[in-house]
Amino acid sequence: MLSMLAKLLKALNSESAPGQIALAFSLALIVALTPMFTPHNALIVLLAFILRINLSAFFLGIAAFSLLAWFIDPYSARLGESLLANPALMEIWRDMYQSDFWRMTAFNHSLVLGGLIIGLLAVVPVFVLSKVLINLYRHRLLAWFNKLKIAQLLKASKFYNLYKSIAE
Amino acid sequence: MKQWIRWSGLAAFIAVSLILAVVFLLVAGPLIEKGIETFGSDAAEAKVEVDSVSLSFSPLGFAIHGLTVADSRNPMSNVLQLDKATAQLELAPLFLGKAIIRDLSVDNLQFNTARSTSGALEKAAEQEEAVAEPRAEKDQSSSVLNSVELPSVDDILAREPLRTEQAGNAFQQSYSNHKKAVDDALGKVPDDQALKAYEQELKALTSGSFQSLDDFKARKKKLDELKARFKQDKAAITTAKNALADARNDISDNLKALKAAPGEDLENIRNKYQLSAGGAANMSALLFGEQAGEWSEKALYWYEKVKPYLAKDEAGTATEEDSPKAPRDGRFVHFPSDNPWPGFLLRNAQLTASTASGNMLINAQDITSEPAVLGRPMRIHINGSGLKQVEDLSADIVLDHRKTPGTDTLTLNIKDWQLRDMNLGVAGASLASSLVQVQALAVVSQGKLNAQGDAQFVRTQFSSQGKTTVARELGLALAKVQQFDVNAKASGNITAPEFSLGSDLDKQLNAAFGARLSEKQAQLEAKLQTKLEQKLQSYIGDYAGKLGEFNQLEGSLERRLNKVSELAGQNLEDYQAQKEREAREKAELEQAKAKARLDAEKAAAKADAERKKKEAEEKAKEKLKKLF
Repeated sequence: MLSMLAKLLKALNSESAPGQIALAFSLALIVALTPMFTPHNALIVLLAFILRINLSAFFLGIAAFSLLAWFIDPYSARLGESLLANPALMEIWRDMYQSDFWRMTAFNHSLVLGGLIIGLLAVVPVFVLSKVLINLYRHRLLAWFNKLKIAQLLKASKFYNLYKSIAE
Repeated sequence: MKQWIRWSGLAAFIAVSLILAVVFLLVAGPLIEKGIETFGSDAAEAKVEVDSVSLSFSPLGFAIHGLTVADSRNPMSNVLQLDKATAQLELAPLFLGKAIIRDLSVDNLQFNTARSTSGALEKAAEQEEAVAEPRAEKDQSSSVLNSVELPSVDDILAREPLRTEQAGNAFQQSYSNHKKAVDDALGKVPDDQALKAYEQELKALTSGSFQSLDDFKARKKKLDELKARFKQDKAAITTAKNALADARNDISDNLKALKAAPGEDLENIRNKYQLSAGGAANMSALLFGEQAGEWSEKALYWYEKVKPYLAKDEAGTATEEDSPKAPRDGRFVHFPSDNPWPGFLLRNAQLTASTASGNMLINAQDITSEPAVLGRPMRIHINGSGLKQVEDLSADIVLDHRKTPGTDTLTLNIKDWQLRDMNLGVAGASLASSLVQVQALAVVSQGKLNAQGDAQFVRTQFSSQGKTTVARELGLALAKVQQFDVNAKASGNITAPEFSLGSDLDKQLNAAFGARLSEKQAQLEAKLQTKLEQKLQSYIGDYAGKLGEFNQLEGSLERRLNKVSELAGQNLEDYQAQKEREAREKAELEQAKAKARLDAEKAAAKADAERKKKEAEEKAKEKLKKLF
């Protein structure tokens, strides 16, 4: 975990494009907000491997957003439940339910549907916000942080040595 | 675009996926094996063992080799054992963690096979040791019942709840309670000595004149205290009288009930154990009750094993459907479909079971953990055509838990069952041979069982090995029976249903027994009456005499109450009144004295005049004498 955190910090501090890290966070959000072992998550993991995004950011993002998901899950499930019970959408759900392919996607699971909807809606804002924050971090916060005494102390720590070895 | 694609990532993904797949393939078999053993043992409450589990990909499925399920009630035997079970799985539902078995075929399914090692679970074995003693007692009691030929007087009295015993206990309890209450009340009542003491004390206070006003006040105070005690004593006597009256009434009522109880017991027992006409239901229950009970017990035992899973489904479905809020882990919402995917579904299972009577074909359909999702009831059909002793056996089990409450139905038909050497367990009688047709229907809903079964016995031959008179009589009577019907009913709570067994065998037996059994009945009743009378006397004992004591006590209390009332009625004279009375008495005394003195003087004067008169007369007489 420490090495993964070190890799994330390296990515944040390195020349990796902010978009690559931000996209990793965005994809991680969808995985975290829906039950882990679902076909769409397998597809997202495949995307994470294929697309040139930061994998450390992706996996750390899953861990971080899973904490968030613990609070959001009841609302996600309620959203999914209401959508699945919505009379206007009933015909669509019924048609999809007749297909093994769609049923394999677990679309009729309240948490999967609700979590996926919230995740998809949040993908773009999270991408943009992450990108902005990474830029801010690199240009302002990192310089300011390096000047702090606590940063000096941290640089003398074991974790920094680990980070440094990875960075090198 | 190129800078966004990482083709090496695809290779990494495939590599990771392959590693995961290989790991899964390596551990899946042992995991399934462990899962079957762990969850199976929990469900069966005995060891469930699997030799091995192998996976197959075309078709997708797995095979279980060498499965044994030990009998929790008899750990040295297996409830069932099979050589191989092959299951074909559907792929798509597996991605959602749903196990849908398209086909399950089982080879060489056997029941009640012997084990070389105990199949008891360690925890269960410990518990078994703990309950070994009570069970031994139970076994002993059942063996005692088995050895009973026909109920003896002592057996009947021991088996039946007797009104005499209840009334006797109530009587004794009532006597001891009231005796204590009466004794306590009597303890507060003054005895004869106390009454005498009161009398003397009262006399001392009320007699003699007051010396002074203080003397009067002192006496008055003492008298008031005495009267307060009289009041308390009167209350105590009244309480004691009431307690005595209550005791006498209650004990009399209980005694009356106790005296009537042997008659009621005899009437009840006569109706239930009548060996003459009309008592045949009891006879058929005696003859077939044990066997029917054994079968019912087995059926209910296995139903109880399965029931928690059925009930769990019901509870789960109800919770999911009725819950207004979505659970935090979400749930699958199902829509109408010809092919729903519940969490677990066994679409079709074909089992060939080897039994001592021959092979049975078991076909199960739609066995699922979520019947409401599937929308069809679970069905199990057992067919045993061409069995050794049965021409055709057909059992249909329908477990319908789509809605709450669920309904489970069993329909059983047995055609031409050649029954041989069925030990009836009574008076050494056995059914040597018979051809039997059986039809039964059992329905369980909301924990209530409602079952009815009919069996027609034809070409019957009984044999009797009994040596006793009753056994011989029974043997002779049974020998004349060619055919009979038995009908059984069970209803009530599934855990403790009430069974009743009837048969026209009873009428036939009654006709055969005829007058001989009436005679036996009369003897039995006479013995019963004697025993019940003995029981009555043992309860009444000397209590009747003690009731007389209560009557005497009541008279004594009445006398004491009168005495205390009389004593309490006496008052102290008023001081002023006493002084006036004394003055009046003194004046009267003086008047009397003066009158007496006057009277005495008058009398003296009169006597003197008389004397003088007499002297004058004497003198006159003397003069007259001298003249002549």
